[in-house]
Amino acid sequence: MLELNNVSHVYSNGVRALDNVSLTVPKGMFGLLGPNGAGKSTLMRTVATLQTPTTGKIMFDGIDILADPEALRKRLGYLPQDFGVYPRVSAYDMLDHMAVLKGIASRAARKETVETLLAQTNLWDVRKKAIAGFSGGMRQRFGIAQALIGNPDLIIVDEPTAGLDPEERNRFLNLLAEIGENVVVILSTHIVEDVADLCPSMAVLVGGQIKLEGAPKDLIEKSRGTIWAKTIERSELDGYRSMYEVISTRLFAGRTIIHILCDHDPGDGFSAAEGGLEDVYFSTLAASRRGDADAQTIAA
Amino acid sequence: MFGSIALFELRYQLRNPVFWVALVIFFLLTFGATASENIQIGGGGNVNVNSPFAILQTQMVLTLFFMFVTTAFVANVVVRDDESGFGPMVRSTQVTRFAYLIGRFTGAALAALVAFMVVPFAIFFGSLMPWVDPETVGVNRFADYAASYSLFAAPTVILLSAFFFAIATITRSMIYSYVAVVGFLVAYVSFNVVVGGEPEYRDFAALVDPLGFSAIANETRYWTAAELNSRLPDLTGTILINRLMALGVAAAALVVAFWRFSFAEKGVSARKARRMEKRAQKLARTKPVTVAALPATEPDNAGFVRLVKTTRFEMGQVLRSPAFVVLMIMGLFNSITALAFGNEIYGTPPVPATFSLIPILAGTFGIIPRIIAIYYGGELVWRDRDRKFNEVIDSTSLPGWAYMVPKTIAVTFVLLSTLLISVIAAMAVQMVRGYFDFELGKYLMWYVLPGTIDMVLIAILSVFVQALSPNKFVGWGIMVLYLVAAITLDNLGFDHPLLLYGTTGFSPVSDMNGDAVAGSLGWWLRLYWGGVALLLAVLAHLLWRRGTETKLLPRIGQLPRRLASRAGALGLTGILVAGATGAFLFNQMNVENTYRNQDSQEALLADYEKQYLQYAELKQPSLTDVTLAVDIYPEERRLEVSGTYQLVNDTGAPVDVLHVRLVDPDTRLLEVEIPGAELEVNDEVYQHRIYRFEQPLAVDATATLTFKSRRHHHALTTSGYGTRLVENGTFLNNSEFAPQLGMDRGGLLTDRATRRRYGLEPELRPAKLEDESARDRNYVGNVDWVNSDITITTSADQVPVAPGTRVSDVTQGDRRTARFQSTNPILGFFSIQSADYEIAKREADGVELQVYHDAQHPYNVDRMLDAMQSSLTYYRANFGPYQFDHARIIEFPGYASFAQAFAGTMPYSESIGFLANLADPGEIDYVTYITAHEVAHQYWAHQLISADMQGGTMLVETLAQYSALMVMKDLYGEDQMRRFLKFELDNYLSSRGSEAIEELPLERVENQGYIHYRKGSVVMYLLQDRLGEDRVNAMLSALLDRYRFQSQPYATSTDLVDGFFSLARNEDERSLVRDLLQRITIYDLKADEAEVRELDDGRFETTVTVAAAKLYADGEGVETEADLSDMIEIGLFTERPGAGEFAAENVIVLERRDVRSGEQTITFVTDERPSWVGIDPYNKYVDRNSDDNLVAPG
Repeated sequence: MLELNNVSHVYSNGVRALDNVSLTVPKGMFGLLGPNGAGKSTLMRTVATLQTPTTGKIMFDGIDILADPEALRKRLGYLPQDFGVYPRVSAYDMLDHMAVLKGIASRAARKETVETLLAQTNLWDVRKKAIAGFSGGMRQRFGIAQALIGNPDLIIVDEPTAGLDPEERNRFLNLLAEIGENVVVILSTHIVEDVADLCPSMAVLVGGQIKLEGAPKDLIEKSRGTIWAKTIERSELDGYRSMYEVISTRLFAGRTIIHILCDHDPGDGFSAAEGGLEDVYFSTLAASRRGDADAQTIAA
Repeated sequence: MFGSIALFELRYQLRNPVFWVALVIFFLLTFGATASENIQIGGGGNVNVNSPFAILQTQMVLTLFFMFVTTAFVANVVVRDDESGFGPMVRSTQVTRFAYLIGRFTGAALAALVAFMVVPFAIFFGSLMPWVDPETVGVNRFADYAASYSLFAAPTVILLSAFFFAIATITRSMIYSYVAVVGFLVAYVSFNVVVGGEPEYRDFAALVDPLGFSAIANETRYWTAAELNSRLPDLTGTILINRLMALGVAAAALVVAFWRFSFAEKGVSARKARRMEKRAQKLARTKPVTVAALPATEPDNAGFVRLVKTTRFEMGQVLRSPAFVVLMIMGLFNSITALAFGNEIYGTPPVPATFSLIPILAGTFGIIPRIIAIYYGGELVWRDRDRKFNEVIDSTSLPGWAYMVPKTIAVTFVLLSTLLISVIAAMAVQMVRGYFDFELGKYLMWYVLPGTIDMVLIAILSVFVQALSPNKFVGWGIMVLYLVAAITLDNLGFDHPLLLYGTTGFSPVSDMNGDAVAGSLGWWLRLYWGGVALLLAVLAHLLWRRGTETKLLPRIGQLPRRLASRAGALGLTGILVAGATGAFLFNQMNVENTYRNQDSQEALLADYEKQYLQYAELKQPSLTDVTLAVDIYPEERRLEVSGTYQLVNDTGAPVDVLHVRLVDPDTRLLEVEIPGAELEVNDEVYQHRIYRFEQPLAVDATATLTFKSRRHHHALTTSGYGTRLVENGTFLNNSEFAPQLGMDRGGLLTDRATRRRYGLEPELRPAKLEDESARDRNYVGNVDWVNSDITITTSADQVPVAPGTRVSDVTQGDRRTARFQSTNPILGFFSIQSADYEIAKREADGVELQVYHDAQHPYNVDRMLDAMQSSLTYYRANFGPYQFDHARIIEFPGYASFAQAFAGTMPYSESIGFLANLADPGEIDYVTYITAHEVAHQYWAHQLISADMQGGTMLVETLAQYSALMVMKDLYGEDQMRRFLKFELDNYLSSRGSEAIEELPLERVENQGYIHYRKGSVVMYLLQDRLGEDRVNAMLSALLDRYRFQSQPYATSTDLVDGFFSLARNEDERSLVRDLLQRITIYDLKADEAEVRELDDGRFETTVTVAAAKLYADGEGVETEADLSDMIEIGLFTERPGAGEFAAENVIVLERRDVRSGEQTITFVTDERPSWVGIDPYNKYVDRNSDDNLVAPG
């Protein structure tokens, strides 16, 4: 459905936020995973027609969105990473206002839209309250409600779960899951579980480049036999780092479990890890860090 | 801990936009008041703009308005943590209640004090501006600024901060705090009106007035200019106590705040909880309408809904913001105060006619919609971005126009409603004053519509500027520069309305003539600037930041491509409209008319004086007969005049040349014929011609002059069509349409600073009293006694009026022709008028009294007829015959506020006597007073005219005031006169401060109004009281007999002074005449205390202690004490003299007693017990403090 071809974006301060990104996004939930500063938001804004890339081409369902952003906007729902609200405006009024902006002309259609979405996002009881007084989760639910107005074909959700408590996060992801069947939903996040739980396909963006693309299941499958785990004392960590390519560490019951990347059994007390998406992600990050280091070595 | 909290708070407040917005607003207000005549704060008077007193007063007045800012600061301290959710976090730390609360208050109060420093700074800065008249700027002394700020303004700011901090602590609400501010203002103003109006409460008010106004007013009430310009009131006595009380109250308020403040958050009250519960239940009962599939968008059909709904949404955002509410309250407070007390004359309220309120409304409220236009211009552009909602909106299918158009319409409606609210306030004031004739059409056409458009022009500029500027604050800064430029460019000579964006002028309005003067000019200019605004709006639309591209250059780069659109076509329309109207207006103003900015007009006048003033002393023949045919075409604003003058050489020597001039540039002198004389010089620039007689005109020989002239306001000037020859209410005097003979000082530059700039003497002073040669010229432009024969035609629906007996009056077709002939010689300075009049008539002793008035102004017509009748009765009995068979009062549009006396005719502005509201008998009946004054001029000016020298106006104006006072005394009785005398006395005393040259004794008055009207009234009243009214009148009547219709030598004030000396019967009286007429004498009479003792025979013995002093002042106001020895009235009363209900029956005894300098006791025995005792109780003396003359016995 959505296709990006060689999209690059260079900011006026010289930062290359997107570097020759090519990506095919099918219908359904699509996870865009990447660390902070990887260029996710730039990519999201570019697809949302908020900024024009330096070079490249983006097509959605036959629309060249750079040449005809208006056509895409009619089919777009966008929840930005960080959005504010107007003071003294209730959720109901704001949603109604958004429905107008999105072009729902008839009063009856607006009423249906607003009330259905408020019910769907569980905001019906607080509809008369000012959004300024909402909690983070309520605010995000409001955000998705406005993104859903008018049945968009492309929904872009930028870092929606950051800062939500687990319960709110769950509720939010369930909401997304409900809608992500017939339309394209791009969910950008730095939280691996969001993608693992929801997305049939995904990509990893690091340093403005797509480092990995595919279905999480396939990717996990592919990584099998390359991730090894061992429980060590914290004091031993530096030693292991120098010997192996450590992709993640985590504490468990006061000791440290490390995962390393290795295409064969390293022995040394390591056991094969039951690889998860997290390991795939971390190994991609590690690879890209190594690539940077290699590049630096070459340059030197 | 305390210190760091205070510092943190101060830093927080200094970063708050409120601080900076307040800084800018108060800078502009103060700077404008100092450096521009268009903005006024308080009634500054004519003392230096940077005099210690002006610095003090401006700061005091602004503390009132600053209340809104201090409240924003201190209330913010209280409510901020609750709103931001930081409260619990902060309160759970170790901070003590004291450090938390008082520390923060200290920081906020410091921020307020720092912000208020902008006020003295702006005065200082304003006084440095090059266009401010250097005459009105004194030395800037740092100490004056520092002392007035720290000793007077700062305590008030601290008091107000503490007071509203306490309120905010108790209410925990910003809105209630502001409600409290409004309540406080209302209470404070009522306190001042009630208490300030009563002299006996003044000392009390001075102590308790929390803002210190009364204390300072008490101290400085009668300061002279010298004092006001040189020092501040001392911080002693009442003022010291007052300021300490302010700080004490501040401390008390903090104690209350501390006591009421609790860290723990209070739960809502049970009642509120119940209410909330009920609402929640109601909300829960309503079930949402849900659908399985959401309706689809139809952006292509949503245009209208988008327009309407977004406009309403944007309006709601503005109207519901607290800043808007606060701005409205500030503006309404200022306007309502001005409307409620404006237009008072002699302290008497007016009938609040709509046309008279509109200029006040526009002047006092106008700054508010301007601020709203500029402030919300920025908000509208930046709000989505500031609120971080722009990405959501920008990614919708909202078309580009749906940004600019709804926002513009929203701001238009906001401004419209702002102005409508101010109209409602004005109508409320009208209602309170019992006026129910709401002329909505006038409000709409003269104020609301033009005002809204003018403000929308500013709003569009603001939006455009914001679209270009990198952030909101830069944009606001540029708009502030624009406001400053609007004030200053005008002063720097760039006053052409096609130059400065948004200039549309303000048409004077009148019930008679509507907005005909400059109304159409305003609409043309609105069209012109509207075209420019349309272009700006299109550019702002095309440069709008959509998406994340915020840099200006790329957006400008895309502009050419975007211009090829419907928006571009609209922009082109704007250019075409502006171009076409601009060309039309330029043609009207600069081609059809001659445009000169103020500088070049002044230069022209200065040059005229340099070239021609030398001829002022040249002896010229006198006019004897004037025959005029004047055709007025009101609807065309056209006047055609032809005339014949008969002259006689009465100079005593042959005359070679004759100067003929028509200096009014609006009238063209078309031709002049003088048989036997040749045109030698024809200066077209000044229309000044010099003719040379072929044979010098012999002594007593006569000559004839015929001329034609035309006045036609056919095209718009930069200020409209002028106020003199108008559609309804033409009022022209003959120097505006007919040539004058000989050169004269009239009409030359008068402003001292301007004169100096052009190398002229700072002022043209009249000849000294001793200069006998000056008696050859009279002071009314040296015009002669002439016989007149004036035929006026005008349109059939108007009434033409000129001096003289109306010998015929015929209407034929659409023209009405009337002919007026004089039956006695009249001064050759007269007026013609034409308007649609109603005429009220009365026959009184062979004289037809008439009032020509507009049908909308019938209120005081009968009173005017009565006044003319009683005046003529008194004057004929006491001064001699009245020379006409008619006396006419003729209304003219309120473009000026005066009444004037021409022969038998008295033009009278619609904005004064016609609108006086005399329903309350306690008010000063100035309608009768002014009418009596103008009728008196039929004797004092139109029978006897004085020489053009020192004291000249004493014979005309002082005697007219005296005559009017005698009429008032006849009508109201001697015991009611105190209020007139006191008004005149207070006016004289307070005006002395504004003297620019030197104060002179009455006999040498140099056309100084406060001397010949104000002091003259008091002095003349005392003289007739002491010397006898009948004796004085007999002397005046003899003076009239001597000079009636006489030419050179003209009468002088010496004739009058000699007359008074001839009436003086002893040394006391001679000394009094000398002190009152030949010196500047100030008395200080005071009743210290009085004791009443009941005697055995049931009578009462009253012992009153009085203090007396007499001072001679020189021209600068420096005083030296002199010995007082005079017979001065002491009185015992049962009511307070001057009070509304006071009358003759309240007088127990009133007799003159010997009073000398210093303290003395005087004893009376009376049958009745007095409740008031006093010296000079009716204020007949020029008493420095006339409020301490009465005392209630202890």
